[in-house]
Amino acid sequence: MSNTAGPSSFASATASLPAVAEPFVQLYRAFWTLESIPASTLELCRLRQAQLHGSEVAWQHREVELPSLQREELRHWPQSNHFSDAERACLSLAEVHAMDAQAISDAQANAVKAHYGEVGLVALVQALGVFDTIVRLGLIWAVSSGEVA
Amino acid sequence: MAKAARVSPPDSSTGNLIRDSAMGLVAETIDHYVALTLAIWDKGPLGAADIELARLRSAHHVGCVVCKAVRYDVAVADGLDERQASRIGDDISAGDFSPRQQLILQFVDLYLHSPGLPEKSMQRALDAEFSSEEQAHLALALAYFNSSSRCAVALGGMPDSLPRFEMPVPR
Repeated sequence: MSNTAGPSSFASATASLPAVAEPFVQLYRAFWTLESIPASTLELCRLRQAQLHGSEVAWQHREVELPSLQREELRHWPQSNHFSDAERACLSLAEVHAMDAQAISDAQANAVKAHYGEVGLVALVQALGVFDTIVRLGLIWAVSSGEVA
Repeated sequence: MAKAARVSPPDSSTGNLIRDSAMGLVAETIDHYVALTLAIWDKGPLGAADIELARLRSAHHVGCVVCKAVRYDVAVADGLDERQASRIGDDISAGDFSPRQQLILQFVDLYLHSPGLPEKSMQRALDAEFSSEEQAHLALALAYFNSSSRCAVALGGMPDSLPRFEMPVPR
Protein backbone atom coordinates (compact mmCIF):
# COMPACT_ATOMS: atom_id res chain seq x y z
CA MET A 1 0.00 0.00 0.00
CA SER A 2 2.57 2.53 -1.05
CA ASN A 3 0.93 5.89 -0.51
CA THR A 4 3.29 8.38 -2.05
CA ALA A 5 0.49 9.38 -4.40
CA GLY A 6 -2.18 8.60 -1.84
CA PRO A 7 -5.38 6.65 -2.35
CA SER A 8 -8.34 8.73 -3.38
CA SER A 9 -10.57 7.76 -0.49
CA PHE A 10 -11.12 5.57 2.54
CA ALA A 11 -12.80 3.06 0.24
CA SER A 12 -9.84 2.80 -2.11
CA ALA A 13 -7.38 2.60 0.78
CA THR A 14 -9.22 -0.38 2.20
CA ALA A 15 -10.37 -1.97 -1.06
CA SER A 16 -7.99 -4.89 -0.60
CA LEU A 17 -9.85 -6.01 2.52
CA PRO A 18 -13.59 -5.61 1.99
CA ALA A 19 -14.50 -8.24 4.59
CA VAL A 20 -13.26 -5.91 7.32
CA ALA A 21 -13.72 -2.54 5.64
CA GLU A 22 -17.40 -3.03 4.86
CA PRO A 23 -18.50 -3.57 8.49
CA PHE A 24 -16.50 -0.48 9.40
CA VAL A 25 -18.28 1.55 6.74
CA GLN A 26 -21.65 0.18 7.87
CA LEU A 27 -20.89 1.35 11.40
CA TYR A 28 -19.91 4.80 10.14
CA ARG A 29 -23.13 5.06 8.12
CA ALA A 30 -25.26 4.13 11.12
CA PHE A 31 -24.35 7.33 12.95
CA TRP A 32 -26.14 9.55 10.46
CA THR A 33 -29.62 8.19 11.21
CA LEU A 34 -29.62 7.98 14.99
CA GLU A 35 -32.75 8.73 16.97
CA SER A 36 -30.82 9.87 20.01
CA ILE A 37 -28.74 12.70 18.56
CA PRO A 38 -29.20 14.84 15.44
CA ALA A 39 -26.98 14.19 12.45
CA SER A 40 -26.33 17.92 12.18
CA THR A 41 -24.85 17.96 15.68
CA LEU A 42 -22.60 15.01 14.86
CA GLU A 43 -21.52 16.77 11.67
CA LEU A 44 -20.49 19.81 13.69
CA CYS A 45 -18.41 17.56 15.93
CA ARG A 46 -16.86 15.76 12.96
CA LEU A 47 -15.90 19.06 11.39
CA ARG A 48 -14.44 20.34 14.65
CA GLN A 49 -12.31 17.19 14.86
CA ALA A 50 -11.14 17.87 11.30
CA GLN A 51 -10.09 21.36 12.37
CA LEU A 52 -8.29 20.13 15.46
CA HIS A 53 -6.42 17.45 13.51
CA GLY A 54 -5.65 19.86 10.68
CA SER A 55 -7.34 17.72 8.05
CA GLU A 56 -8.36 19.91 5.13
CA VAL A 57 -9.86 16.89 3.34
CA ALA A 58 -12.14 16.01 6.27
CA TRP A 59 -13.05 19.67 6.69
CA GLN A 60 -14.05 20.05 3.05
CA HIS A 61 -16.15 16.89 3.10
CA ARG A 62 -19.84 17.47 3.76
CA GLU A 63 -21.69 14.55 5.29
CA VAL A 64 -24.64 16.73 6.31
CA GLU A 65 -25.50 20.19 5.05
CA LEU A 66 -25.15 22.82 7.76
CA PRO A 67 -26.00 26.52 7.86
CA SER A 68 -23.05 28.33 6.30
CA LEU A 69 -22.61 30.51 9.36
CA GLN A 70 -22.09 27.47 11.52
CA ARG A 71 -19.28 26.26 9.28
CA GLU A 72 -17.75 29.73 9.17
CA GLU A 73 -17.86 30.22 12.91
CA LEU A 74 -17.13 26.69 14.06
CA ARG A 75 -13.53 27.43 14.99
CA HIS A 76 -14.79 30.13 17.36
CA TRP A 77 -18.00 28.44 18.49
CA PRO A 78 -17.70 29.46 22.15
CA GLN A 79 -18.00 33.12 21.12
CA SER A 80 -20.64 32.57 18.43
CA ASN A 81 -24.39 32.82 18.91
CA HIS A 82 -25.09 30.43 16.00
CA PHE A 83 -24.88 27.27 18.10
CA SER A 84 -27.55 25.90 20.40
CA ASP A 85 -26.88 24.88 24.00
CA ALA A 86 -27.12 21.23 22.96
CA GLU A 87 -24.59 21.73 20.16
CA ARG A 88 -22.28 23.57 22.56
CA ALA A 89 -22.43 20.70 25.02
CA CYS A 90 -21.43 18.24 22.30
CA LEU A 91 -18.70 20.44 20.86
CA SER A 92 -17.20 20.97 24.30
CA LEU A 93 -16.99 17.24 24.89
CA ALA A 94 -15.76 16.60 21.35
CA GLU A 95 -12.82 18.96 21.76
CA VAL A 96 -11.60 17.20 24.89
CA HIS A 97 -12.24 13.77 23.39
CA ALA A 98 -9.99 14.67 20.46
CA MET A 99 -7.09 15.34 22.82
CA ASP A 100 -7.56 12.98 25.76
CA ALA A 101 -10.74 11.03 26.50
CA GLN A 102 -9.63 10.66 30.12
CA ALA A 103 -9.89 14.42 30.52
CA ILE A 104 -13.62 14.57 29.78
CA SER A 105 -15.22 16.00 32.90
CA ASP A 106 -18.41 14.89 34.62
CA ALA A 107 -19.81 18.34 33.91
CA GLN A 108 -19.22 17.92 30.18
CA ALA A 109 -20.76 14.45 30.15
CA ASN A 110 -23.73 15.63 32.22
CA ALA A 111 -24.30 18.56 29.88
CA VAL A 112 -24.66 16.17 26.95
CA LYS A 113 -26.95 13.90 28.95
CA ALA A 114 -29.12 16.88 29.89
CA HIS A 115 -29.95 17.31 26.21
CA TYR A 116 -29.73 13.82 24.76
CA GLY A 117 -29.89 11.42 27.70
CA GLU A 118 -27.60 8.49 28.43
CA VAL A 119 -28.20 6.97 25.02
CA GLY A 120 -27.21 10.24 23.41
CA LEU A 121 -23.98 10.41 25.40
CA VAL A 122 -23.03 6.87 24.38
CA ALA A 123 -23.92 7.60 20.77
CA LEU A 124 -21.85 10.75 20.80
CA VAL A 125 -18.69 9.13 22.15
CA GLN A 126 -19.15 6.20 19.77
CA ALA A 127 -19.43 8.60 16.85
CA LEU A 128 -16.50 10.72 17.98
CA GLY A 129 -14.32 7.64 18.19
CA VAL A 130 -15.19 6.49 14.69
CA PHE A 131 -14.95 9.97 13.16
CA ASP A 132 -11.56 10.41 14.80
CA THR A 133 -10.28 7.23 13.18
CA ILE A 134 -11.47 8.34 9.76
CA VAL A 135 -9.58 11.62 10.10
CA ARG A 136 -6.40 9.99 11.39
CA LEU A 137 -6.32 7.27 8.73
CA GLY A 138 -7.11 9.82 6.06
CA LEU A 139 -4.06 11.81 7.09
CA ILE A 140 -1.85 8.71 7.11
CA TRP A 141 -3.12 7.59 3.72
CA ALA A 142 -3.19 11.13 2.33
CA VAL A 143 -6.62 10.57 0.86
CA SER A 144 -7.88 13.22 -1.51
CA SER A 145 -11.55 12.77 -0.63
CA GLY A 146 -13.31 12.66 2.72
CA GLU A 147 -15.91 10.30 1.33
CA VAL A 148 -16.07 7.16 3.48
CA ALA A 149 -18.60 5.12 1.59
CA MET B 1 -10.54 9.87 34.92
CA ALA B 2 -14.18 9.49 35.96
CA LYS B 3 -14.48 6.93 38.75
CA ALA B 4 -18.24 6.58 38.51
CA ALA B 5 -19.94 5.20 35.44
CA ARG B 6 -21.69 7.96 33.51
CA VAL B 7 -24.35 5.68 32.05
CA SER B 8 -26.07 2.47 33.06
CA PRO B 9 -25.76 -0.57 30.81
CA PRO B 10 -28.88 -1.95 29.15
CA ASP B 11 -31.07 -4.35 31.05
CA SER B 12 -29.99 -7.32 28.99
CA SER B 13 -28.08 -10.52 29.54
CA THR B 14 -27.31 -11.82 26.09
CA GLY B 15 -23.93 -13.14 27.20
CA ASN B 16 -22.24 -10.95 24.61
CA LEU B 17 -19.96 -8.53 26.44
CA ILE B 18 -20.45 -5.78 23.88
CA ARG B 19 -24.24 -6.04 23.71
CA ASP B 20 -24.56 -6.13 27.49
CA SER B 21 -22.28 -3.13 28.01
CA ALA B 22 -23.28 0.51 27.70
CA MET B 23 -22.41 0.20 24.01
CA GLY B 24 -25.62 -1.79 23.68
CA LEU B 25 -27.72 1.25 24.55
CA VAL B 26 -27.49 2.55 20.99
CA ALA B 27 -29.79 0.27 19.06
CA GLU B 28 -28.72 1.52 15.63
CA THR B 29 -25.01 0.77 16.11
CA ILE B 30 -24.73 -2.29 18.32
CA ASP B 31 -25.12 -4.89 15.57
CA HIS B 32 -22.44 -3.11 13.56
CA TYR B 33 -20.03 -3.12 16.51
CA VAL B 34 -20.51 -6.84 16.98
CA ALA B 35 -20.08 -7.53 13.26
CA LEU B 36 -16.95 -5.40 13.07
CA THR B 37 -15.43 -7.11 16.10
CA LEU B 38 -15.87 -10.50 14.47
CA ALA B 39 -14.57 -9.27 11.12
CA ILE B 40 -11.41 -7.89 12.70
CA TRP B 41 -10.59 -11.11 14.54
CA ASP B 42 -11.84 -13.60 11.96
CA LYS B 43 -11.65 -12.11 8.48
CA GLY B 44 -8.30 -10.39 8.17
CA PRO B 45 -4.88 -11.76 7.27
CA LEU B 46 -2.97 -10.64 10.38
CA GLY B 47 -2.49 -13.12 13.19
CA ALA B 48 -4.30 -12.51 16.47
CA ALA B 49 -1.03 -11.93 18.34
CA ASP B 50 -0.10 -9.13 15.95
CA ILE B 51 -3.53 -7.54 16.34
CA GLU B 52 -3.25 -7.81 20.11
CA LEU B 53 0.05 -5.96 20.18
CA ALA B 54 -1.49 -3.06 18.28
CA ARG B 55 -4.59 -3.11 20.51
CA LEU B 56 -2.55 -3.10 23.71
CA ARG B 57 -0.24 -0.29 22.55
CA SER B 58 -3.31 1.81 21.77
CA ALA B 59 -5.02 0.90 25.06
CA HIS B 60 -1.92 1.93 26.98
CA HIS B 61 -1.89 5.31 25.28
CA VAL B 62 -5.61 5.94 25.82
CA GLY B 63 -5.34 4.84 29.45
CA CYS B 64 -8.15 2.31 29.37
CA VAL B 65 -7.51 0.14 32.43
CA VAL B 66 -9.84 -2.63 31.31
CA CYS B 67 -8.49 -2.72 27.75
CA LYS B 68 -4.94 -2.93 29.09
CA ALA B 69 -5.80 -5.84 31.38
CA VAL B 70 -7.59 -7.90 28.74
CA ARG B 71 -5.82 -10.58 26.78
CA TYR B 72 -7.97 -12.10 24.06
CA ASP B 73 -7.66 -15.86 24.20
CA VAL B 74 -7.18 -16.11 20.44
CA ALA B 75 -4.10 -13.92 20.75
CA VAL B 76 -2.67 -16.02 23.56
CA ALA B 77 -3.32 -19.14 21.49
CA ASP B 78 -1.57 -17.43 18.57
CA GLY B 79 1.58 -17.05 20.65
CA LEU B 80 1.24 -13.64 22.25
CA ASP B 81 4.34 -13.18 24.40
CA GLU B 82 3.16 -11.95 27.82
CA ARG B 83 6.58 -10.55 28.59
CA GLN B 84 6.24 -8.32 25.54
CA ALA B 85 2.61 -7.54 26.28
CA SER B 86 3.49 -6.37 29.77
CA ARG B 87 6.07 -3.95 28.35
CA ILE B 88 3.82 -2.65 25.59
CA GLY B 89 4.01 0.92 26.83
CA ASP B 90 7.81 1.00 26.85
CA ASP B 91 10.12 2.36 24.24
CA ILE B 92 9.80 0.12 21.21
CA SER B 93 13.49 -0.67 21.14
CA ALA B 94 13.40 -1.82 24.77
CA GLY B 95 10.81 -4.54 24.44
CA ASP B 96 12.71 -7.24 22.58
CA PHE B 97 10.23 -6.91 19.73
CA SER B 98 10.96 -8.45 16.36
CA PRO B 99 11.39 -6.11 13.37
CA ARG B 100 7.85 -6.99 12.26
CA GLN B 101 6.44 -6.23 15.70
CA GLN B 102 8.40 -2.99 15.86
CA LEU B 103 6.80 -1.91 12.59
CA ILE B 104 3.34 -2.62 13.98
CA LEU B 105 4.08 -0.52 17.05
CA GLN B 106 5.61 2.27 14.95
CA PHE B 107 2.43 2.39 12.88
CA VAL B 108 0.36 2.58 16.07
CA ASP B 109 2.51 5.43 17.34
CA LEU B 110 2.20 7.28 14.05
CA TYR B 111 -1.57 6.94 14.24
CA LEU B 112 -1.72 8.06 17.85
CA HIS B 113 0.82 10.83 18.00
CA SER B 114 1.29 12.40 14.58
CA PRO B 115 -1.07 11.02 11.96
CA GLY B 116 0.31 11.84 8.54
CA LEU B 117 2.18 10.25 5.68
CA PRO B 118 4.75 7.79 7.02
CA GLU B 119 8.38 8.61 6.34
CA LYS B 120 9.45 6.99 3.08
CA SER B 121 11.75 4.62 4.92
CA MET B 122 8.92 3.50 7.17
CA GLN B 123 6.55 3.02 4.24
CA ARG B 124 9.20 0.98 2.42
CA ALA B 125 9.63 -1.19 5.49
CA LEU B 126 5.85 -1.62 5.83
CA ASP B 127 5.55 -2.57 2.16
CA ALA B 128 8.39 -5.06 2.49
CA GLU B 129 6.96 -6.72 5.59
CA PHE B 130 3.19 -6.50 5.12
CA SER B 131 0.92 -7.11 2.17
CA SER B 132 -1.60 -4.49 1.19
CA GLU B 133 -4.32 -6.57 2.87
CA GLU B 134 -2.27 -6.82 6.06
CA GLN B 135 -1.71 -3.06 6.15
CA ALA B 136 -5.41 -2.41 5.70
CA HIS B 137 -6.15 -4.94 8.45
CA LEU B 138 -3.70 -3.30 10.83
CA ALA B 139 -5.17 0.14 10.17
CA LEU B 140 -8.78 -0.93 10.59
CA ALA B 141 -8.09 -3.01 13.69
CA LEU B 142 -6.20 -0.15 15.29
CA ALA B 143 -8.97 2.28 14.36
CA TYR B 144 -11.60 0.05 15.89
CA PHE B 145 -9.77 -0.68 19.12
CA ASN B 146 -8.60 2.87 19.62
CA SER B 147 -12.10 4.25 19.18
CA SER B 148 -13.52 1.59 21.50
CA SER B 149 -10.95 2.33 24.21
CA ARG B 150 -11.73 6.03 23.99
CA CYS B 151 -15.42 5.23 24.28
CA ALA B 152 -14.86 3.11 27.37
CA VAL B 153 -12.80 5.79 29.05
CA ALA B 154 -15.24 8.56 28.15
CA LEU B 155 -18.15 6.68 29.72
CA GLY B 156 -16.38 6.44 33.08
CA GLY B 157 -16.46 3.72 35.67
CA MET B 158 -12.87 2.60 35.18
CA PRO B 159 -11.20 0.86 38.12
CA ASP B 160 -7.82 2.19 39.25
CA SER B 161 -6.21 -1.08 38.31
CA LEU B 162 -7.13 -4.54 37.16
CA PRO B 163 -5.10 -7.74 36.95
CA ARG B 164 -4.47 -9.33 33.59
CA PHE B 165 -7.34 -11.56 32.51
CA GLU B 166 -8.14 -13.62 29.42
CA MET B 167 -11.43 -13.49 27.62
CA PRO B 168 -12.87 -14.85 24.38
CA VAL B 169 -13.84 -12.65 21.48
CA PRO B 170 -17.49 -11.65 22.09
CA ARG B 171 -19.62 -13.60 19.64
